[in-house]
Amino acid sequence: MLDIETIQKFLPQRIPFLMIDRVIELDPGKKVVAIKNVTINERFFAGHFPQHPVMPGVLIIESMAQASIMLFCDDPDKTPDKHATYYLSSVKVRFLNPVFPGDQLKITVEPVKVISNAAIVNAVAQVGDKEVAKGELSFSIKE
Amino acid sequence: MQEQQLENEIRNIIAEIIEKKPEEVTPDAKFFEDLGVDSMMALEIMAAIEKKYKIAIPEEKLSQLTTLGETIRVAKEYLASGG
Repeated sequence: MLDIETIQKFLPQRIPFLMIDRVIELDPGKKVVAIKNVTINERFFAGHFPQHPVMPGVLIIESMAQASIMLFCDDPDKTPDKHATYYLSSVKVRFLNPVFPGDQLKITVEPVKVISNAAIVNAVAQVGDKEVAKGELSFSIKE
Repeated sequence: MQEQQLENEIRNIIAEIIEKKPEEVTPDAKFFEDLGVDSMMALEIMAAIEKKYKIAIPEEKLSQLTTLGETIRVAKEYLASGG
């Protein structure tokens, strides 16, 4: 299990744009399972939407992207000198069910193809046993 | 016949990824100059071919995916070796 402090050693994102809270499973280069707790205190619920809070799909994609970065965390005990830059280049995601305050998102990412400076991953987001979004993300990495 | 089928399949894979009509993907059309393909699309093409034919193409071959013709040639190398 990786807590938020450890996660921040590897993710360049910071509050209020950290879209994973915890990594519950890490098999470097092979599989990452992360969770994001969704609460009514999220800033975005104020506007999305005032009478009907639903987590924006683009932020579910961001959760998937941040979980994907954790695939490149070889050793959680190490502190990297600096963050690499990750450029999302393509997203093919289908949204299957809405995500509401109180839900816990579980994001599972597994690589389709990884090369030294880029990757294509499969990502699935679930709330409980229900899939809420799934798809494929491609991104390049610049050290 | 099988040759033609392979060409058609790979052409369709490429056309779908780069969002062009299959007929625009001629054997000699240059991916980068003529078809607007970037390096990430090339990687997606490689991954899609690997998935379809259940083969593994090494990273160093990525730079050889420059035209439909070249892509077929690279794919054949690995198809021949039994994947």
